[in-house]
Amino acid sequence: MQWTPFLAAPAAIMLVAPAAATTYLTAEQAQQAIFPGASFSPAGQPGVFQASSGGVVIIDRVIGKHEYIKFAVGIHANGAIKQVEILEYSESYGYEIREAAWRAQFAGKSAASPLQLNVDINNISGATLSSRHLTEGVKRIMTAYATSLKGR
Amino acid sequence: MRRARPLLGTYVEIEAHGCADSMLVRAIDAAFDAVARVQRLMSFHDPDSDLARLNRRAAFEPISVDRWTMAVLRQARQMFEATEGLFDCAAGHELMQRGLLPSQDLGHVAPGTFAAVTLLADNRVRFSAPIALDLGGIAKGFAVDRAIAALRGHGVREAVVNAGGDMRVIGTARPILIRCPTEPDGLVPAGLLQNGAIATSGALATVARDRMTGHAMQPATPRGDRKAYSVVAPTCLVADALTKVLVQTGDIDAGYFAQFGARAFITSPAAANVRAA
Repeated sequence: MQWTPFLAAPAAIMLVAPAAATTYLTAEQAQQAIFPGASFSPAGQPGVFQASSGGVVIIDRVIGKHEYIKFAVGIHANGAIKQVEILEYSESYGYEIREAAWRAQFAGKSAASPLQLNVDINNISGATLSSRHLTEGVKRIMTAYATSLKGR
Repeated sequence: MRRARPLLGTYVEIEAHGCADSMLVRAIDAAFDAVARVQRLMSFHDPDSDLARLNRRAAFEPISVDRWTMAVLRQARQMFEATEGLFDCAAGHELMQRGLLPSQDLGHVAPGTFAAVTLLADNRVRFSAPIALDLGGIAKGFAVDRAIAALRGHGVREAVVNAGGDMRVIGTARPILIRCPTEPDGLVPAGLLQNGAIATSGALATVARDRMTGHAMQPATPRGDRKAYSVVAPTCLVADALTKVLVQTGDIDAGYFAQFGARAFITSPAAANVRAA
């Protein structure tokens, strides 16, 4: 383990503009990730895809207080969840770095203009983010699947 | 390659590089499988988990558990002893009283401490008092460690696993940003981390307990603050567990951090604002 604290005074990073999204998978990649090797056809409703191997992939999104998440639920032919993949995750705010010493590390950026940091969640340590909104989104899809989509 | 799935009540993100895509897909799938296994074994909510079986029955008879559950309980005991009870997974009773955890089938549970947990041979566990364990303060870190082990087992040498803010990195050094609780729009650059783990807690999310009685109590200093309490450690389990202690004491120089090869620090966005202004 090697930990090198930044020696400069802690930098304040302030809210600015819309943040960049992290894209993990396109819709097509998610389909292949969930049912590898299958081919997919639209199942009549937006975001619903029938797998040639049986089962469906449903793509939807949830919007929370601070996040926007696009996700895919893979459902076995028997109605059980196979897999949930996150396609896109974005935070509904951006970050501006105010502290000069920290900003100077980013060569080529004008010190006068607010620096937009492309914040990836894999670099942020914090009190645990709750995935409640996404869990509710998955439940909503499973309910809709059970009542209207199944058996089509 | 980066993937994210909802597990452990949070978003688990896994990033891996340095192999062919087909290998990375297999490695990342195996890493998510490891996290899902930890969730199945150690969820308080799942009535079939090892943890739920322990809480229902271990006060009455020895219960067999998975070796992963046993490994977490062994480490939990080490932490409990090294911190003189400040790290205590036997918080199930308080969390149920506060309505934070379900209490179904757990009417027999009373306040108590981890001292009541007896680890027996052959991965069996017995409680000497009717306590309930909650592994929320340690299992997430363990899951991150198992995910890293799965990635390594598949030949990955460059990776990040982040379970909603508790993370471990292997390979090149990564800049780490800290998100302060109640201040989601403020991030503070903290340092560079290489081949190690970091976890961060907010004071609001943590239940402090009276060491002698096991009753929930207010911390000595009210910490309804906006500070982030972080621990860097060789493993994510240690980082995860020790943040729960740091948030209670606020003492970054306590001996148990060095004992586990860890370092603690506290981040305050308010102070940072003043200094940068």
